[in-house]
Amino acid sequence: MNALSKLFLMCLMSSALGIADYVRAADATPVTEAPAATVAPAATETPAATESPAVSTPATAESPATGAPLATASKPAPKDLVLTGDAKCTRCHDESDSPKVLSIGKTKHGTVADSRTPTCTNCHGESSAHESNPGGGKDRPLPDRYFAKNSPTSAEERTNACLACHQGGKHINWQMGVHANRDVTCTSCHQIHTAHDKVRDKRTQPEVCFSCHKEQRTQISKLSHHPIPEGKLACVSCHDVHGDNPKMMARGSVNETCFTCHMEKRGPFVHNHQPVTEDCSICHNPHGSNITNLLKARPPFLCQECHSHDSHPGQAAALPNAPSNSTSLMGSVARGCLNCHTNIHGGNSTVNSATAGRFRR
Amino acid sequence: MNKNILTFKRTAISAALMAALCSVHADETDADMAQMIKPVSSISIGVGNWSGDRPQLGIYDGMRDGGIYGLFDADIVSRDDLTGTWLKLDVRNLGIDNREVRGDYIRQGNYGGFFEFNRITRDNPYTFTTGLQGIGTTDLTVGTSLGSFTQREVELGTTRELTRLGGFINLSPGLDLKIDFKNENKTGTRQWGWGSAALFSVEPLDSTTRQIEMILQYTGEQLQISGGYFGSMYDNHNLQVLEQLNGVTGGTSAQFNATTPLSLPLSNQAHQLFIDSGYTFTPTTRGTFKASYTRATQDEHLPSYDLAGANAPFVNAPSHLDGQIDTTVVQLGLNSRPMPKLSITANLRYNDINDKTPLAGYVGNNGTGVISVWNTPHSVKTTSGKLEANYRLPQNFSVIGGVDYSSQDRTYPTMGNVYVPFRSDLKETTYRLQLRRAFADALSGSLAYLHSSRDGSTYTDANGTPYANEINPIHIADRNRDKWRAAMDWEPLEKLSMQFRVEHSKDKYPDAGRPYGLKEGTAQLYGVDGSYAFSEDWKLSAWYTNDVTKAEQIGFRAASTGAADAVKNAHLKDVGDSLGINLRGKLSAKIDGGAGVDWYKTTSSYPQDLTLTGAGTDYPTGTTGPLPDIRNNLLRLKLDAKYAFDKNTDLRIDLIHERWHTDDWSWNFADGTPFTYYTGNITCTGCSLTPVPVVDGTTVTAKQTQKSNFIGLRYIYKFH
Repeated sequence: MNALSKLFLMCLMSSALGIADYVRAADATPVTEAPAATVAPAATETPAATESPAVSTPATAESPATGAPLATASKPAPKDLVLTGDAKCTRCHDESDSPKVLSIGKTKHGTVADSRTPTCTNCHGESSAHESNPGGGKDRPLPDRYFAKNSPTSAEERTNACLACHQGGKHINWQMGVHANRDVTCTSCHQIHTAHDKVRDKRTQPEVCFSCHKEQRTQISKLSHHPIPEGKLACVSCHDVHGDNPKMMARGSVNETCFTCHMEKRGPFVHNHQPVTEDCSICHNPHGSNITNLLKARPPFLCQECHSHDSHPGQAAALPNAPSNSTSLMGSVARGCLNCHTNIHGGNSTVNSATAGRFRR
Repeated sequence: MNKNILTFKRTAISAALMAALCSVHADETDADMAQMIKPVSSISIGVGNWSGDRPQLGIYDGMRDGGIYGLFDADIVSRDDLTGTWLKLDVRNLGIDNREVRGDYIRQGNYGGFFEFNRITRDNPYTFTTGLQGIGTTDLTVGTSLGSFTQREVELGTTRELTRLGGFINLSPGLDLKIDFKNENKTGTRQWGWGSAALFSVEPLDSTTRQIEMILQYTGEQLQISGGYFGSMYDNHNLQVLEQLNGVTGGTSAQFNATTPLSLPLSNQAHQLFIDSGYTFTPTTRGTFKASYTRATQDEHLPSYDLAGANAPFVNAPSHLDGQIDTTVVQLGLNSRPMPKLSITANLRYNDINDKTPLAGYVGNNGTGVISVWNTPHSVKTTSGKLEANYRLPQNFSVIGGVDYSSQDRTYPTMGNVYVPFRSDLKETTYRLQLRRAFADALSGSLAYLHSSRDGSTYTDANGTPYANEINPIHIADRNRDKWRAAMDWEPLEKLSMQFRVEHSKDKYPDAGRPYGLKEGTAQLYGVDGSYAFSEDWKLSAWYTNDVTKAEQIGFRAASTGAADAVKNAHLKDVGDSLGINLRGKLSAKIDGGAGVDWYKTTSSYPQDLTLTGAGTDYPTGTTGPLPDIRNNLLRLKLDAKYAFDKNTDLRIDLIHERWHTDDWSWNFADGTPFTYYTGNITCTGCSLTPVPVVDGTTVTAKQTQKSNFIGLRYIYKFH
């Protein structure tokens, strides 16, 4: 406990006990000049404090520094600082803890006016062994549910602590998803005690996701990318990381997700381009590419993954030496095949020409 | 501790002194406590300057051009602790083009609402020097010898402006109603093609997208249900583009005439009803069910239907598509832990995309009525399932085994010309095995292997030469896929953590009498991340990744423009190296900051072997092949520092140095000069002038080397 906390406690107790009583409580050792202020008498002098129904602090607590039992019987009940009933924990865990547990007060979990907000033990368990500290110091048993990376608490149990309240809505399918089945827990990504949870801000969310998804980290830095590094989109713009849709898409499929922003590609068109109707990711890599428009391969190679014809579509990749209007020379430069097949996502032309069906109108 | 020093007598003086002290300290303590537990707001005002243009790196950040930008951000958060009422205002980038604002008013647990405005700009990185007239409109005119236009520089780009409104209300314990409405206007210009010929064109954008979602959700201890409606409406204000040859009239061939109509996406809409539910049967068994039904339609009047002359429609073509696609999704899921060490996850999914658009002829012979081109509805019905088991082994190990199965029924064109072979059935089975170790003894990791095999029914033939039927289209080709992935997290010291990743995958596309198309694809990635905390105040993190992708692709090239018949064998390869370094720390109680490096280098190569099977040259006259390599390099150095004047006010400075270089030849000729669109004669059957001497000559310039420096200064005020 740092000096600030001690001072805070001093003042609290000086109000409750009187100045001399504070001395006794803080030091917990009988002092020569105040012989009456022994532990036992003090307890009897302030019975109301220990019987306060507002807190669930057990009668015996210990000094966080030494692990030795404190004369709490002589102290007033510790006061809740943030959550209802948190005194049980915050009498030891204060702002000097890392992570700073009191910061939960800045979050929705710390909004006690909402009767649903939890107390410490709702998430961490009653943790009696941790609290009574038989070992003291470093040997103190961990709380019943401990959320750090090296926790002995199983991933399932950690997640269940959150699902006890958050199983509904977007989390209905959590247990069916890949994340849940690879031991990813809520706290693998979320910081519960922090006002600014990185993963809930689109500017900082990708760095959380990239702690596992390294390939995507390299892809978004490529020449053609969605505006993720610029902070305009985040991973959850497209992915429902709590769900079990194919490829964890935000909506039911890749296309349905892409259409939420690129609805002009949805059609249906008079002349549909079959792969477009099926899956945008046949041609595009949404995470990034060195080829413009997020293409997976450069024309004409991309188009030649499906098209094999005896005329210009089969042309060998090469650069023209000079301006040209020849379809046999223009498949690699500028927009490649799309120089002419400009409506490649589908066309609505009724012009009575075969070109209409080839996405040239 | 000297007890005498700390022992006070209960005297009037000491009591008064303590009371006074504590009064002061109580105020300070309250303030300090508030700082710890109350939401904090901040306002940041500043100015920044980029020393030069950043056409590539500034595509999305609203700061493409060098110059001064206002920097204004605010994060206002207020909470009434008594009622649990939040008022939030989040303002970002107010001083630049891609600004956004979001406001929330929430009575936590009861009701709430929000609004949002978000602007995303996308600036085309190229400079266009063109004479094309009418850019941004639906009437474009290209110069001809009868009248050409002065070339001038044009910048293209799009702007999205999203307005969003929504809210929720708690109707009763566990029962909530949520509404989310989005309206997005997209305007601007997009690089396009003429359609009839490889000439420069620009698509005008002016559309509105609206989405509304209404969800009623119930959350109980065992049962959770969420259901509602999702509607999405696209409204394009531009119907079609008419491209004109300046001064030319007439034309009898739709291939190329005085006016070329280019179609645009037409307004369309989709309405979806959905339900999503889960039930916890026992503490170890949970089932889920979800279903949705979507009807998407497009039945706008086809604008080109009203055109006359060479652009007139086929006499029997309909004026509306009457497009309708109904999509049904049903999914069942089960997650259970029948034994303490064994958990099982299974699901079954049915996804039916039923394109009910009526088949009609759109191109045909007006005299005979014979149809050559029909519209192309496409339906796919996919049934898939997954079964996965996770068994916990001693020492924090677990083994995961799973199998996925997918079966597709696919329609294929039955009328008119078909350019690519189709398949009516496609099946894929995937097996996966993974050994994992949860974090313990400073180490966690996993080793995973995946094998999948895809095949399908016999192909229906495409029209045309045999070559057209000697290809495996990539998305329906037989494919065998093998993937390995190894990951390790290691924390040898409390201050040091490391991550290692190795990933490798290989796709093989069996020949099966179809020699053309993609034959093999590989991808591999090596990555290492490290983080070291020098002290409580100083931390260094760094990462490096190397990624390599390769593709072997074979195709047939028919003799053309002097080049011989040939079999092409392309060996495509992309190699990327990425590095990130970040150092953050506190120089003093009042100064903290950081320094960072972003660096990446990519090399794409396109070697291509040609085996000539006839007389002629390797490459057509007028071209040079194979394609040269492309290298992209980025170096970004970042430095920031923040000086705290006091608890509430900071001054922040940001310095960035950026270097970008590419030798991308996409917009170059073979000799490296900037690409220029064609100027010259084009046959125009029946036109008032034929051939038409078209004067396009649009030059596209990419700035291949970009260097710029940024300095930004911000004043930050924080308050409760």
